[in-house]
Amino acid sequence: MTVPRWTAAALAAAGIAAVVAAPYVLPSFAVYLLTLTFIAALLAGSVNLLAGLAGLVSIGHAGIAAAGAYGVAWAAVHDRGIGAQLGVAAALTLAVSVVYALTTMRTSGIVFLMITLALGMTVFGLALKLSSVTGGQNGLTGIGRPQAVDEWWQFYFFTAAVFGLCLVALAVINRSPFGLMLRGIRESPSRMTSLGYSVTTAKFVAVVLSGAFAGCAGVLLVWNSEFMSPSVASFPRSALAVVMVILGGTGTLLGPLVGAGIVVAGEYWLSSYVERWQTVLGAVFILVVLYAPRGVVGTIAALPRRSRKEGT
Amino acid sequence: MIPASWTGRRRVARLLLLVAALALAVSACAPDEGGGGGGDSAGGTVKVGFISPVTGFVAALGTDMRRGWEMYWQQNGAKVGDVTVQTVFEDDTGDPEVALTKARRLVEQEQVQLVAGPILANTAYAVAGYVAGRGLPTLQMTGADDLTQRKYDPHVLRVGYTSSQSNFPAGKWAYDQGHRTAVTICPDYAFGWESCGGFVSAFVDAGGTIKRQVWHPLGTQDFSTYVSQARQANPDVVFVGSAGGPDAILFYKAWTGFGLKDKIPLVGNCCFADQVFLREVGDEALGLQSFTYWVEGRDSEVVQRFVQAYEQQHNEIPSLYAAGAFMMAQVTAEALKKTGGKIEGEEFINAARQVSLSDSLYGALTFDDTNNVVGPVYQTRIAKRDDGTLWSVVENTFPEVSQFGTEGKEAFLQHPVFSRDYTGQ
Repeated sequence: MTVPRWTAAALAAAGIAAVVAAPYVLPSFAVYLLTLTFIAALLAGSVNLLAGLAGLVSIGHAGIAAAGAYGVAWAAVHDRGIGAQLGVAAALTLAVSVVYALTTMRTSGIVFLMITLALGMTVFGLALKLSSVTGGQNGLTGIGRPQAVDEWWQFYFFTAAVFGLCLVALAVINRSPFGLMLRGIRESPSRMTSLGYSVTTAKFVAVVLSGAFAGCAGVLLVWNSEFMSPSVASFPRSALAVVMVILGGTGTLLGPLVGAGIVVAGEYWLSSYVERWQTVLGAVFILVVLYAPRGVVGTIAALPRRSRKEGT
Repeated sequence: MIPASWTGRRRVARLLLLVAALALAVSACAPDEGGGGGGDSAGGTVKVGFISPVTGFVAALGTDMRRGWEMYWQQNGAKVGDVTVQTVFEDDTGDPEVALTKARRLVEQEQVQLVAGPILANTAYAVAGYVAGRGLPTLQMTGADDLTQRKYDPHVLRVGYTSSQSNFPAGKWAYDQGHRTAVTICPDYAFGWESCGGFVSAFVDAGGTIKRQVWHPLGTQDFSTYVSQARQANPDVVFVGSAGGPDAILFYKAWTGFGLKDKIPLVGNCCFADQVFLREVGDEALGLQSFTYWVEGRDSEVVQRFVQAYEQQHNEIPSLYAAGAFMMAQVTAEALKKTGGKIEGEEFINAARQVSLSDSLYGALTFDDTNNVVGPVYQTRIAKRDDGTLWSVVENTFPEVSQFGTEGKEAFLQHPVFSRDYTGQ
């Protein structure tokens, strides 16, 4: 909003151009990392929707993503087509999101955090125990991607497109009256109630909506790895999504993407050279929280305003 | 907020539309393959990717694996015939998603011709599935039964035993000792189901009765309820299938705490009384019986040479994981000798399957036609070495144990894979 419109448009155009050019100039493994980044960013984006607008930090969102992923995986293992895979994934995601929403819609702050943590662990536990359906610890193998996006570069474009669409959807929600309502709830739930808004309903809808994005991330995740195991629902996955949001900038549109980029680079690229890559990532996280509490994107977005103020 | 004029907005929209159209046009044609994978061995070297978890919750196992792998090339030289074996190490942190990504890096970027590891069942399934899908060979040492059974793939060779394999002789032996009733205690996930499955199916086949199967969650802190469940059933023998670590130690402390040590005979699996366990439990472990394939105190020149060299370098007795990775390296080298230094997909695995060793860290080995080890299982006892260190020694040898037990392949594969609901009863 502080960035002039034409600059934003030029940046967006450059961004799209870079995304399209990537598979033609980068080696396939680097493109694969970009694919992973988009998927991680989508999950982080769903966390950011709640954290940025409503101030509700969830550390159990990997559980919802896993629901979508298991939907696809289960249907694929039973030789169902894409339609059925997506149908089962959507149904499972919705069911799990509704459970998340119902149990958390009257809470906020630390209570919300703890309940989502517990729900995430529950999904993880179920995935481990219901081995006849989920394959237990061994996971499910033999999941193929849809024919049309089978090649690595096709899947990259597909993932980028899905991420782009979701980004637009997130931007729309951000500017919608509903987004404004969530911001109001974050600032003062009691005032919103006295203005006639139903705070619990708004939170319910927000969690289910955010769950839809997480579910999309889950579907992409399982198509990407063509393998499914309970670790998708594990706590570290949920926690990393929150780390991505904070690194990139809570409440910013592109923050999750930048955060995901940093985490993926650390997890898959740095780790090949530095054994203690988690320590490096931790140090980066601490530095960001100390010196750029608005995250990378939040801080950069605030730069022009500050420099203009200093200039005059 | 900057008020948006109509012209500005339209220009922005037009620009974005143009870029989007361009994007669609470009992405319709395929880019060149970024990384090949496979390829000829250049300049007389073959590149092998080695994946193990050296960080994360199973870092200890992954570190041992690396040491074992390196120990083989150190003892035998990295040159096999005319080719030099070059290893690229990767860390999978114990997470299948990470393992898969690392496998991709090895294949697409490093262009390795063979992938060895990782260790955990889910990471191994993820890696083996991907590597085999690319037409490259892979050596595995994880226990997950189905890898060489219902999910057999000609590109995958397991240099090791299935989780149930080494427990078939345990069930048979327990019955032959005169035990008629048994209780099993195993962790409640695939490895535990398969470990107990091996014991239970053989014990029941022989004519014994299982009084109770106790399943405990991985990472149990207090074993007293599980131990008292076992005691109440009052069986002739108790079988414990453990993945090692704190679970094994805490279980055994509860077991001795209840005073059951000399009351009910206890039989462990491969991984129950390992070196970590022995260092923690101490003399209380003396005499403990297990059924396993890696025995550090076995009277064999191959084993003692390895143990000595490893101890000198790392100051501890090598674990099952160090031995397993050493074995993968040895089979790699033996297979390279057979193929004349070439690694080409299925052919390499076919050559590796023909490898037969008269003595190895595991003993006399061959492979069956679904790429799994046929080898000895040892009944072991915890004893004291001359210097006072605790280790396992061999009591009895059961040669040529197959992954299909005594049933034979066809009959065995009729059953579902062992699970909490099916342990072969």
